[in-house]
Amino acid sequence: MSEIGQRKTKMEVKEALKGIAAEMHNKMEKGIPPSMTLPVRAKTNIAFDNKLGVYKYGKKKSTRDATSLGSARQLLRSLHVTEFIEQMIDAGKSSTLREMYYISEGWGHGKFGSQNESNNLAEDLEIVTKCLREDFKLRPEEDGSRIIGNVTFEERNRKGKWMRINCRDDVGDSGYGVPYNVEAEKLTLIEEDVDFIMAVETGGMFDRLVENGFDEEARCALIHLKGQPARSTRRIMKRMSQEWKKPIIVFADCDPWSFRIYASIAYGAIKTAHISEYLATNGAQYLGITADDILAYDLPSDELTKQDLNALNSELTDPRFNTGYWKEQINLMKEIGKKAEQQSLAKYGLDFVTDTYLPEKLAGIGLGY
Amino acid sequence: MGGPSGEIEMVDANDISSKHKQIAVSEFFEKNKHFLGFDSLQRSLITAVKESVDNSLDACEEARILPEIKVEINRLKGDDVELISQDNGPGIPRDAIENVFGKFLLGSRFHAIRQTRGQQGIGITGVVMYAQLTTGAKTRIISKIAKDSSAVFVELGLDTRKNKAIKSKERREVWNDDLTGEEIPHGLKIATVMKAKYQRGKQSVYQYLRMTSIVNPHATITLIIKDRDGGVIEKAKWVRTSEKLPRVVEEIKPHPHGIQLGTLQRMLRESEQNRMKSFLRQNFSGVGMKAAERLLLAAEIDANRNPKRINSEDAKKLIDAFLKVKLLPPPTDCLSPIDDLLIKKGLSKAIDSRFASTVTRLPAVSQGNPFQIEVGLIYGGDLTSDGPIEVLRFANRVPLMYQQGGCALTKAIESIDWKRYGLDHPGGKGLPKGAAAVLIHLASTNVQFTSEAKEAVSDNEEVFDEIRKGLLEVGRGLRNHLKKKDQRKKAKEKFELVNVILPAIAKKTSKILGRDEPDLAPVITQIMNAVFCEEELGWDKERKLATCSIKIFNYTARARAYTILLKWPENEGISIVENSNGGRKETRGIWAWRLDTLNPGSSTTISVAISGLSKGDWTDTDVFFRGNGEIIGATKIDEKILDEIRKTEALSALRKEISEVNHITPDTNEVIVREVTTENQNTEMINVFGEYEEEVI
Repeated sequence: MSEIGQRKTKMEVKEALKGIAAEMHNKMEKGIPPSMTLPVRAKTNIAFDNKLGVYKYGKKKSTRDATSLGSARQLLRSLHVTEFIEQMIDAGKSSTLREMYYISEGWGHGKFGSQNESNNLAEDLEIVTKCLREDFKLRPEEDGSRIIGNVTFEERNRKGKWMRINCRDDVGDSGYGVPYNVEAEKLTLIEEDVDFIMAVETGGMFDRLVENGFDEEARCALIHLKGQPARSTRRIMKRMSQEWKKPIIVFADCDPWSFRIYASIAYGAIKTAHISEYLATNGAQYLGITADDILAYDLPSDELTKQDLNALNSELTDPRFNTGYWKEQINLMKEIGKKAEQQSLAKYGLDFVTDTYLPEKLAGIGLGY
Repeated sequence: MGGPSGEIEMVDANDISSKHKQIAVSEFFEKNKHFLGFDSLQRSLITAVKESVDNSLDACEEARILPEIKVEINRLKGDDVELISQDNGPGIPRDAIENVFGKFLLGSRFHAIRQTRGQQGIGITGVVMYAQLTTGAKTRIISKIAKDSSAVFVELGLDTRKNKAIKSKERREVWNDDLTGEEIPHGLKIATVMKAKYQRGKQSVYQYLRMTSIVNPHATITLIIKDRDGGVIEKAKWVRTSEKLPRVVEEIKPHPHGIQLGTLQRMLRESEQNRMKSFLRQNFSGVGMKAAERLLLAAEIDANRNPKRINSEDAKKLIDAFLKVKLLPPPTDCLSPIDDLLIKKGLSKAIDSRFASTVTRLPAVSQGNPFQIEVGLIYGGDLTSDGPIEVLRFANRVPLMYQQGGCALTKAIESIDWKRYGLDHPGGKGLPKGAAAVLIHLASTNVQFTSEAKEAVSDNEEVFDEIRKGLLEVGRGLRNHLKKKDQRKKAKEKFELVNVILPAIAKKTSKILGRDEPDLAPVITQIMNAVFCEEELGWDKERKLATCSIKIFNYTARARAYTILLKWPENEGISIVENSNGGRKETRGIWAWRLDTLNPGSSTTISVAISGLSKGDWTDTDVFFRGNGEIIGATKIDEKILDEIRKTEALSALRKEISEVNHITPDTNEVIVREVTTENQNTEMINVFGEYEEEVI
């Protein structure tokens, strides 16, 4: 079977899915409970892949076999999903994960208990078949994010025509909307005139930077992450980094959840470690806000909650944060017991972030302007 | 319903009222409203209902009438509330009405000790007085006794200084029922207007009556609450679940261990005997001829001295002697426990639950006072699972509604480590949480309260220990129930897995691959790899039979042979009327079936029907097995325990014979008491399955 990320033909996808059914069927013929083998999807089973430069699942496998009711149901669901995907491939249709969740209402005992179950199962199938969700004609509910800056894409529109879009001149204030599929058949990276790409966690800060004209002043493309970034957001960043050789800079809140956002961009997310090399941008840099910044800029801050502390402690045992830099930041944060939002920089006025903070921080990593 | 039935002999109403002894305390009321239960508008209403309902229940009990009690509360203008309470009791003779309603009374003759509800209240006079003080209203009374041809209609007021009732508008008339128009043969109706406030919740008239109905399963109680416009705000009816009246309790004399100096001196002063020896014998329980002699010897008092001439110094010596000389314990047949099966019925009529376990402990004695503990625990059903469990406290069948936290009954609940029994008990402190309610009934000739208000039982080591033992027993029942529920859930899941999901998987893979469906039998055996047992208790409404079916599945690769044993409530009048597989009686309460060999993949069902039970009597059982390997859903029988049951059964049969012989001779009072005691112990030992798992406290 070919490696993940290389696009497959419809036949290849269907064959891969049939493999799942065949594994179960063969077992039953031998008098053994049907099963499906998956890597353990937890932080205890991710390891750095030196060749790919990202975190991938390790060697721990878990077998989902029909000896418990929950697992047996999962197997039955997998078969229903398999059949459903085949039907979509044949009919040239696609559906959202949410639609599939509702369609499962008609699957009797194979119906999903929650939307989350259907999302997880789609990921399971990706792992087992080494196909991509896009191959399955399944798309996420949420759209991708938005981009503003002097970069140009060509996107194939609904009529099948390639449309050229410059993300500074051809878009409104909300920027270029990233489609859920950003693969070559849908999107081409044409040209750029920027020095780096800055990923911004919150919509408020993204709009602040746009209003202050930061993209032109600092010669960068701004991309809004919308919290934990969707796959297409991470994928387009990866492509821009790879194809245009531009640095990716992450600008987020200073709290444990933002650190995880960064980790999913730079090293890969635990949930999608099977496609880390395809989504993660090794070399993405965390700009701020850091725990140091809270002290250095005397930023308004909030006390860490119990959940925050648990999250920080959990990060200390997460291999992705096992670097001197992150250990220092996390421990410092625990020490001062504070967290701060990006927008707390407004304490010093609306222009402070673009006039003082970002230039100072960017200069610190050699991207001064 | 509610009249005296043929075999119940009615006690003459004249007789009951003559027992009342008055004490002049009218003015006492105004000064002590707070602990008489008339300190707030809400509470006054509950107290008024309580006094009248308690009176009705006590009167019915003495007259051997199944009580039918109606309480009506009507909101009038302002804070005025009309309370109407009616019963089908013996009624009060005309000449006694003034005394019953106009003076503060003690429930019965002074020195006699007995378990009564009345012990705890100020009496119905308090209601008459409270109504008069707050609204000026007179209390209207209708009383009909069986032997009179008409009822007395009268209005009562009080002269609070002279401790006297003032009668007015008295007349005699035939009393007809408001609804049916039929003449009422006997009963009492009280109507009065008072300042009060109706409130819902944990401390409400509703809750009071609900609790009352739980511990009085023989009573039917109706409550109607109407708003100013006559619209019904709240309506409830608790129908009797038992036709069995509480047994008539014997009055007993006080036991020397519970006597205080003041009481002894009063008894000496009022003695009807002229010699100390006969004074002791006649006035105390547990004191026979020999004991009286030993007591007087220890107190250095001459046996022939006149009790009236005993000075306080000698009285003190006598009190010391009471504690030194070994005495027989007081008799315990003066107590009226509700009976565990009746509590179960009472609980189930008030609360819908999935599991109920009740226990009546043997009578015990503390400081010369006989007492008996009953404990009930219900779980699941309508009960809410968030927050602490509901506590239902009772003393002598009277609900205790206030000061829950300071009550020894509550403290006993809190002292149990409920986590071991399947309830959430954060930090092991306070009340456990979960969908459960715990009932505790303390029956005693002398309930010790923390204060005059009589809202909380005071600490007492013996009482505390008895409650704990009762709680542990029902707790074990709960734990077994939860464990079984869990096992059953797991078994159910497995069945769904192999019978539904697995075939669906096979069907789907065959369809996707275009291949034949595989034979699933070997797969199923591998997944289950066990023998399963599922029992289901039911109720055949038409034939009034309790049913039980036991299904056994062999999901192993080998053939299996077992004997299945079922625990059933064997008793007089209860028998197995249908039995699919025959079998034989293993011992009392255990039926056994030797099953044919069960081949791999096959199942069999045993079904029985039992007569003589009511719906809800049989809600929980145990299935045991004898044979090799495990059966999920059944317990391997412990042969030692079976032997013990057999022995106990033989012994108990013997004892029963002896006790029957003893009952013929009336003078062997103490012997009978002991016999009753040992017999109860037997029943407890039979319940050995409760102790199936070793308890570590």
